[in-house]
Amino acid sequence: MTAIARRNGKTWKKIAKGATPFLLVLPVVLYYAAFWLRPVLSSIIASFTGDAGQFTLDNFALVFHEEDFVAAVKNTAIIVVFSVTLEFLAALFLALLINRKFKGSGLFLFMAMIPMALPAAAAGAMWITGLTAHGWLNSLLGYLGILAEGKKIYWLVGSNAKLLATLIIIDAWQVIPSVMIILLAGLQNIQEEMREAGYVFGGNYLHVLRKITLPLLKPTITTAVILRMISAIQIWLIVVFLFGYSRLPVLLERVVFYTKEARGLYIADQMAAGYTLVVAAIVSLAALVYLQVSGAFKREKEQLT
Amino acid sequence: MTRTKKKPVSVAKAARTTIFYIFVVGVVVALLLPFYFIVSLSFLSTREAYEYPLPMVPAINTHFKLERGKRGNLLSVYDRVEGGYETVLDTKELQKMSDYMKYQLATPMTLEDIEQQIAKLETQDVVYFTRRRNLLSNYQSFFGVAGSEAVPALIRSLQICALTIIISLSIGGMAGYAFARYAFKGKDLLKFSVLFVRMFPGVAIAIPMLKILVGLNFYDKPIGLSLVYSIGNIALTIWITASIFMGIPESLEEAAQVFGASKARAFLRVTLPLALPGLAAAAMYSFLGAWNETVSAIILTQFNPTFSVIVFKTVLGAVGQVNLAAAGGMAMALPAIIFTFFIRRYIRQMWGGVTI
Repeated sequence: MTAIARRNGKTWKKIAKGATPFLLVLPVVLYYAAFWLRPVLSSIIASFTGDAGQFTLDNFALVFHEEDFVAAVKNTAIIVVFSVTLEFLAALFLALLINRKFKGSGLFLFMAMIPMALPAAAAGAMWITGLTAHGWLNSLLGYLGILAEGKKIYWLVGSNAKLLATLIIIDAWQVIPSVMIILLAGLQNIQEEMREAGYVFGGNYLHVLRKITLPLLKPTITTAVILRMISAIQIWLIVVFLFGYSRLPVLLERVVFYTKEARGLYIADQMAAGYTLVVAAIVSLAALVYLQVSGAFKREKEQLT
Repeated sequence: MTRTKKKPVSVAKAARTTIFYIFVVGVVVALLLPFYFIVSLSFLSTREAYEYPLPMVPAINTHFKLERGKRGNLLSVYDRVEGGYETVLDTKELQKMSDYMKYQLATPMTLEDIEQQIAKLETQDVVYFTRRRNLLSNYQSFFGVAGSEAVPALIRSLQICALTIIISLSIGGMAGYAFARYAFKGKDLLKFSVLFVRMFPGVAIAIPMLKILVGLNFYDKPIGLSLVYSIGNIALTIWITASIFMGIPESLEEAAQVFGASKARAFLRVTLPLALPGLAAAAMYSFLGAWNETVSAIILTQFNPTFSVIVFKTVLGAVGQVNLAAAGGMAMALPAIIFTFFIRRYIRQMWGGVTI
């Protein structure tokens, strides 16, 4: 009897032990079911629902036929491709250079974090006041003698290409430091001995970088790039701050436009719902493709086995 | 890479160090320059803020020149950009002059003071005088004009941040611990949750969320927004706390258990104290996320906006008041920057542990 009881106790303990991680994770699951999955599902359902409550694909037809749709996709694609590439390369370059202990490295890190800590409203205020014809950027260029007296650069008007360039540079200012910090953290977790071994075997800096540092940094790079890519596709607030609605349409800006600005329009809800799903689909697809190409899923399996 | 050669090397090394520091300083300047201007702009008077080129540094004093004018008394102000006095006002009314000084020049003067200066015109043709500027004028008018709204909104925002920290640190921290210490089914799913919750635009969640919050009677209340903000923050907190717990050797906990402590006690007495600074950093990350968010706040508040909404409206609506917008932006940025200062040391720990 006692032996059975003891054995029962043991199995219970074992089960309890096996259940611990699930109990710890349970609150997250419940929370996401209630406050993420539920709104997401109703958002998806809304995108397939017509104004009479029937199932329909009309919302997407409306979206695809909207005059700004093609422009929005094109602009978003340009922003994502150029800004993610530019920001990643610049951040990697900076991180490799800064990756050493130097006097004031703590202070430097703090200052690098300021742009990313800046709230969107503050960043918007900063660039609006800076980029208008009478703004501080032109003033500064004037003081430095780069801009002749009485001349002004009109940053916020002109061709789409010019506006996109302005936007990408501004975005880079805010984002490069944060990407750099993630990469820097990854670099500092690589053991110094690894790289030293590379040098001992006669490798030069570029060899060691290509064969040792970058491969070891790859998981961090994947993390940094994918987080960056996801938020780059969802860019909109700074666009609206600088150019207003509809001047330089991007995908998420259309969602907000139909949600908040075009309330009077009778198809506004359907447009917003349709655009939402389009954005979500594009983000998910891009993220999955990137993870597949970068081999993150493969790495996952290796770790498990 | 410690090479022990003689002086020529150290010269080259010194040169390299110098170049390195010049580079670092260059990066810092590029990072902080735009930031400097918004700080500077937030201290400028309205008149200065509309000059071109903009003054690079806010003035501490305003220099006045007073003469007899056609209609009354002619007031001129020293213009640092042009390098001379510029006439700004010709009036008999003291109140009008005082108002102009207060609102356009951010240099408040009492009526008696102005009267005294005007009285001097009896004996002199021109009167020069200098008064100290009120540097905080934009901040005062932001909190005064944006009204009775700004201060309650600030308090509300802080409540939202506190609730978000509590929710995401408790729920996310538990999962983070599980992630760091156990192998279990669905672990990868947890890891990718950071990505999943970001793939669906926050704006898009805010709209159906509106109905859910109304149903819970949480709409337009701090708890409602903090529930929304916790969605993203929990996922991030899982990552950060998992990294932190991974950094604390499990053997410490096991050692405590060998000495008779229960698993829970070992965690509370050994792991938690060691993790505390890192957890504080994770909490500050949640604070930043909740404090800075504007878009959901616009959609999910009605009569009780957050501070970020107030600033957003001032910035967009203050096309006629750039210095006021700058002051609002700075008021918003300051807490974020202070908190960043405290978490800077944990960055490596935070981003080092979990990767995709």
